[in-house]
Amino acid sequence: MSRYLAAALAVRVPAGPTTAGRPAPGGTTTAATVAAAPVPRSDLRAGAAAMAPMLLAYLPFGLLVGAAVAASDNPVAAYLATWTIYGGAAHLAVLDVLGHGSGWVAAAAVGLLVNVRLSAYATAMAPDWRSASARRRVAAGVMLTDAPWALARGHRAAGRRDYYFGAAGLLFVGWPTLVTIGVLAGQWVTALPVAGLLSAMTLGAIVVPQLRERPTAVAVGVATVTAVLTAGLPAGPALLVAGATGGAAGVLAARAGRSS
Amino acid sequence: MSVLLAVLVVGAGSLAFRLGPLLGADRLPDALTRVAGWAGLSMLAAVVVRSVLTHEDPGLPAAPLLGAGAVAVCLLATARGFSLLLAVTAGGATYLAATALVALP
Repeated sequence: MSRYLAAALAVRVPAGPTTAGRPAPGGTTTAATVAAAPVPRSDLRAGAAAMAPMLLAYLPFGLLVGAAVAASDNPVAAYLATWTIYGGAAHLAVLDVLGHGSGWVAAAAVGLLVNVRLSAYATAMAPDWRSASARRRVAAGVMLTDAPWALARGHRAAGRRDYYFGAAGLLFVGWPTLVTIGVLAGQWVTALPVAGLLSAMTLGAIVVPQLRERPTAVAVGVATVTAVLTAGLPAGPALLVAGATGGAAGVLAARAGRSS
Repeated sequence: MSVLLAVLVVGAGSLAFRLGPLLGADRLPDALTRVAGWAGLSMLAAVVVRSVLTHEDPGLPAAPLLGAGAVAVCLLATARGFSLLLAVTAGGATYLAATALVALP
């Protein structure tokens, strides 16, 4: 038991985009860290091992979503969203809008706006999946969400697809489990305010190691400022604005880097 | 009925967001995929910022400030090479300690 605990504590977040067989400039710890990890030998197992502690950090968020499902007017339909929407933020946003008496059109619009970031993730994944079969691409897409995408982005290119499947597969099984537990006994979690911060910390901890690449650091810095400035907007439009400004800043930083 | 409709529409749209670029991966230029990567990480950062800014703790007006401090500790620990589990634990402990201090008479 203590060996497994030690392994979970030792799993570090990958450090940034890497190229086949060797770390990219500035991402020096990624390949070495993952390759040298003593427990997972295959990329599939390494991905699952990297996701395992995140699942623990997602526990309060999953319980929170489950509690919202249980409180819905139509708990069965709301529970169905665990698989159809497959994203806690959009799931909560849809239930919240419906709970405030707005119609399904408004709720759907909000949910789609919150989840539109998934198309950016899928687009960013494209180069790694061009040679994959259509079946594997569909499987990868169905399981796509924030944490597995960001984790796999930091893994070395060779084996990145298997690594992604390891991380995404574990979350695809684990997330509905957490929501189910939340449906049954999630009310208590609303009494723990710190729980609301754990998923934010988890996502932030995946982003930080990737900031060693200058355009990424500039993009995230600009997006952070934009997010503060647009805090008063609804989540969907605000995330889109942050994504657009961050992406543009990344392009400008990359161009500036090339010209200098 | 409205819950079911919303869930199905968002589900179908989300699936299109997920699958469209992957199934059309051969036609996407590399430059676009690079920009999408920066945009994706930017949106993740925005999710974190919004979580902190909208953080609520009953009876604690400074909750977003304390939350920002706790998240900063977590991110700093990650940057220093600590594992995710330890970094998140450090951030959570920081928040609990800070709220306990603030609550002292």
